[in-house]
Amino acid sequence: MTQIRETSDRLCRLSRRSYQNPYEQVDWPEALDPEAEWFTSAECSSLYGTPAWDRLDEPGRRRLAFHEAAGFYSLNIHGEKLLMQGLSARLYRKDLADLTGYLHHMLDEENKHSVYFGGFCTRYARVYPSRQLSFGGTRPRDVEDLLFFTKTLIFEEIVDRHNQVQARDRRLHPLARFINDNHHREEARHLVFGREVVRDMWRSGASRWSEDVIADVRAEAAAFVTACWREYYNPDVYADAELGAPWALAETAWSAPAQRERRRAYSAGCLDFLTGAGVLTEEPSDAF
Amino acid sequence: MLSEPEIRTNLRAWVRRKSAADLGADFGDGTPLFEGGLLRSIHVPELVLVLERLRGAPIDVEALAPCDFQDVDTMIGRFFA
Repeated sequence: MTQIRETSDRLCRLSRRSYQNPYEQVDWPEALDPEAEWFTSAECSSLYGTPAWDRLDEPGRRRLAFHEAAGFYSLNIHGEKLLMQGLSARLYRKDLADLTGYLHHMLDEENKHSVYFGGFCTRYARVYPSRQLSFGGTRPRDVEDLLFFTKTLIFEEIVDRHNQVQARDRRLHPLARFINDNHHREEARHLVFGREVVRDMWRSGASRWSEDVIADVRAEAAAFVTACWREYYNPDVYADAELGAPWALAETAWSAPAQRERRRAYSAGCLDFLTGAGVLTEEPSDAF
Repeated sequence: MLSEPEIRTNLRAWVRRKSAADLGADFGDGTPLFEGGLLRSIHVPELVLVLERLRGAPIDVEALAPCDFQDVDTMIGRFFA
């Protein structure tokens, strides 16, 4: 825990230094033209490399990219809602006292990210609904803790790969570049924290847990990788982009070789970490 | 639109693909899916997509409860009636 406390203290200093007001950072344009500019990098589109992408003309690709930006921001909003619930539930817990200072920053920063994501969606598009439904947990608290931070890490690592690519993409509208770049800069700290916490919780938990518990953790983490990626193939987005048969399209895109390859490449860093730490022993079979 | 038997076949096949459990001949449309540990709550978003695709219409998840996914029979009544 000493190392976590040092990491937490260091990240707290960095967060205080880059503290921001999300209501003053952006001059929101009056309107956007979805068919004239790019809002998602082509390579980050869920249809890129598929026959459906090839059939689209340039304005159609940009229109899809616009709605995919709103879809990406929406899945971030829903992910951050769950994250904020989990973080606030762990504030000031005695056994997590070393983390509390940084949990405050994370909570604050996740809320601000959602202000940006929600600002875009509500001004120019819509917040796409989530298909997640909580059944409540019945696992021991230490197992739930590890799963919470592991899922957070998986979600944030995949998002961050998209953020990095799009923050650098000069084709993108400046607003889209800003939202991705700002998120990436803040998430870089969260990822350092998340890896440290997951490594520590796994090390202390795995030595005590039964084989069944360990198998359950591994199965849940693997299933979450697939669940995370599934959200990027959103039929509601395709329908708004005026594409026909949106559910069949989501299924076809999910199975397309180019998309399997993209998912594998974007997940590689996260999976390397989880495998190296011992949380996973193999690649999630149905994610790619 | 698929017939009800086709929808049931699709749903059972999906559960068999997703479940880590070894589903024998006793797996049927009344077998508890989540309570019985065949599926995890983490599978729900994907299951909703499957249901939407089979019925060709969106589902408002905010209006749902875990009991709506109890077993294949329940889902047929809830989403395809």
